[in-house]
Amino acid sequence: MHLLEVLNPVAQQRGLMNSTKINERPVTLDDATVGLIWSGTHGGDVALKRAGEMLQARFKNVKVNFYTGGNYPAPPPIVRQAGEECDVVIGATAD
Amino acid sequence: MIQIEKMGKPAIPIVSGRFEEDAIASSRALGMPDLQFVIVPRIYRNLPIDECVSQTEAAIDDIIDVLTVDQQHGRRERDEVAEIQRFEGEDRWDAILKMNEQWLMRDWGDSFVLHPPTAEAVDELIAGSNLDADKLICDMPPGFGLATVEKIAINAAMAGAKPEHMPVIIASVKALSQMGSHGGTSLLMSTSPQAPLLVVNGPIAKELGINARSALGPGRDNQVNITIGRAFSLCLRNIGYWYPGQMDMDTIGTTRKFVHCIAENEDMSPWEPFHVNQGFRSSESTVSVFITNGELDVQDQGNTNAEDLLKTLAYGSIFGTRGLGMHGGGQRLILMPPDVAGPVGDQGFTKDDARTFIHHHAKNSLGKMIQYTPIKGEARIAAAWRWLENLTEQEILDIEVSVLDSPEDWNIVVVGADRAKTAVMPTTDNIATVGIDQYRT
Repeated sequence: MHLLEVLNPVAQQRGLMNSTKINERPVTLDDATVGLIWSGTHGGDVALKRAGEMLQARFKNVKVNFYTGGNYPAPPPIVRQAGEECDVVIGATAD
Repeated sequence: MIQIEKMGKPAIPIVSGRFEEDAIASSRALGMPDLQFVIVPRIYRNLPIDECVSQTEAAIDDIIDVLTVDQQHGRRERDEVAEIQRFEGEDRWDAILKMNEQWLMRDWGDSFVLHPPTAEAVDELIAGSNLDADKLICDMPPGFGLATVEKIAINAAMAGAKPEHMPVIIASVKALSQMGSHGGTSLLMSTSPQAPLLVVNGPIAKELGINARSALGPGRDNQVNITIGRAFSLCLRNIGYWYPGQMDMDTIGTTRKFVHCIAENEDMSPWEPFHVNQGFRSSESTVSVFITNGELDVQDQGNTNAEDLLKTLAYGSIFGTRGLGMHGGGQRLILMPPDVAGPVGDQGFTKDDARTFIHHHAKNSLGKMIQYTPIKGEARIAAAWRWLENLTEQEILDIEVSVLDSPEDWNIVVVGADRAKTAVMPTTDNIATVGIDQYRT
């Protein structure tokens, strides 16, 4: 019999060394401002806008803000603006 | 979405089913493994409007759920795999086959037989550079694994690399990390067949035997090219996490993902080498990483006049579509053989002259190039093109424009044997060149 010892080629990922937890969710979207970020890819705008309409129908007093930087991924200023102005955000790359 | 979660706000992407693994892998790579998302069956990009609407309506309960209910999906952990792996076989070859069988199932290989990265083999490779084993070269995109010299050496050993190849491999890994977020991450994760190409310049190419003639292909003459390219490919998988279906989301794929490494044929070029264009001295050795997106042979079977040769090249380079965003045209890498470069250079064209000439002759119908792009509404169109909205389809077809944005978007590297067959590769506009000598013993 032959015993072969070899070294694992897979590297540790930086992201898992310094991972961050997601935020607590609100119990309702009543009175919330919902951000929609579109990457500019065909169909994603349609999806997001329909999602916004449905959230407005399901919850009271929902405000919807639509953002696009016209490219993928969305430019950092657009992302920052959405994060500052909204309570929750939905994105679609359309992929 | 992760950026927004980091700002303290719940954020979710809507993701099509084929991209679920990609979303999980990306959330790990970007440091938020529990990022929530909503899965829809089909990619929106190619759906009719009514289906975009209907599949969103079907997902609305999931959207509300992930925005309003705290979730624990336990995606934080990966399978823990020991740093030393042991395989028993009837003899050494049998043990190697068992290693291959298991590692290919893990998708750690490229489906060719892997050399065993024993501690001895890896130590020999580490000694091929002037760096310690635990020296961190970079966080390698797209998955941002820690590219230590040891991990690079392990993957190089699997490719059958030799110690003297290590400085090139290390510099290549470093170069990929310097391409910025678009080059190293989003472009590699594209659904288009985008793959790195390594171009080596300087004295090291001859010292190692990197082929600069028929440099893209199998066989004895390209053994070093293939080995270095393979080592880089394996680093991309196991350090960069560029695994198909996870962070490599290609629609069809390309053999260029068995990454190619070539050298410039500096001896037969009439011009300064490519790395001099990138700011290095000709006496330095470098590797440049391009992200290629295709390959086309442009033949010239009779011209010897410089302008005719360049026109053939320009007319043959107008293939493909283009976007109307900020960088819609991308770039082209021209792998120009000596039988084209020589006459062009001898007849007085500098490299920049040749690039400019090609640029002004490589024109095509704008309408044909953008046919697929909706130009009305909130489409991905830069402000400079908004005037197209007022034109008819025929008017747009009748507009002739350069296929790329500027002469600087045409990069020339002299490669090849003595025939006038040029290879033209569409590339992205991210190129990174890194010096190799800093890693040599």
